[in-house]
Amino acid sequence: MKEQIFFEDVAEGQEIPSIKKDVTTVNILMYLSTVWLMDRIHFDYPFATQRRGLPDVVAPGNMAGDYYCQLLSDWAGDKGRLRKLSIQFRNFMVPGNVLDCGGRIVKKCVEDGKGIVELEIWLRNENNVNCVPGKAVVELPLK
Amino acid sequence: MGESLLDKLGWKKYIGQQTATYTGEKIQARDIRRYALAIDDPNPIYFDEAAAKRGRNGGLAAPPFYITWAVGVPGSEKSVKELGEDGLATFVGVPEIPDVWTLGWMRGGEEIEFFKPVYVNDQVSVKGRIAEMSEKEGRMGPMVFVTSEFTYTNQAGELLAKHRITMIATPRKES
Repeated sequence: MKEQIFFEDVAEGQEIPSIKKDVTTVNILMYLSTVWLMDRIHFDYPFATQRRGLPDVVAPGNMAGDYYCQLLSDWAGDKGRLRKLSIQFRNFMVPGNVLDCGGRIVKKCVEDGKGIVELEIWLRNENNVNCVPGKAVVELPLK
Repeated sequence: MGESLLDKLGWKKYIGQQTATYTGEKIQARDIRRYALAIDDPNPIYFDEAAAKRGRNGGLAAPPFYITWAVGVPGSEKSVKELGEDGLATFVGVPEIPDVWTLGWMRGGEEIEFFKPVYVNDQVSVKGRIAEMSEKEGRMGPMVFVTSEFTYTNQAGELLAKHRITMIATPRKES
């Protein structure tokens, strides 16, 4: 069990531990079938490439949201909480991508007696492109 | 400078328009497990009741972003024949405007604020409104931005999340 992080222990400018995510056709299919999403750009290669001009089938953008939620909820620990997530869809995620999902603290302050940390976050592919840039607000417990 | 695309479409009158309230079905443990597997999140709180009770949510609950799917996508359960060429009947974020599919739609970005988790056996409701519309001239022509705001609640009426989605629409190419 990971140790709980406290507001006093983090600093502006600090990077948080990153996680790695593999984009695969099987994960994409698991996702689509669980949420019942039949958009052919996610699983139909001829359709995605020939009809829609995409480089490959593309992962649903929402999966970036999921990766960030895991990164930040796990970092915040059981006593912390992910409050807010903002993301911009800039580049497609395609099967074969190995994504580095991480963040850096840009601001910390106490608000209404709560430890609030703001982060800039990234989902970088192996070409160092941040596919889904974003920001997050996390609440960390005070000691 | 000619008339803007937004003016031509006459869509600005839809700003502030509310959607109906949509309510999904009860969330099952299977939905939670399979979603966690899909996103490669091995956290036992999604798979094991005991771990879930001890963990951050105090019970079996879905990964946070699952809330955006917890209602299902209203109108998405259609037969193959009824679906559009792209496999979609509709998708969340595309506003409920009569001639909406005359343009091609993409997700621009979203912002979500979390209040409470979605627990197994919860039934989630969602209501939305069109918050903003704007237009920009892109490299390849006009781009319309439509931002909608959604509020998710559970069966007890508790606020679960607030969600702002910006969709980008562009005129369809002649194929």
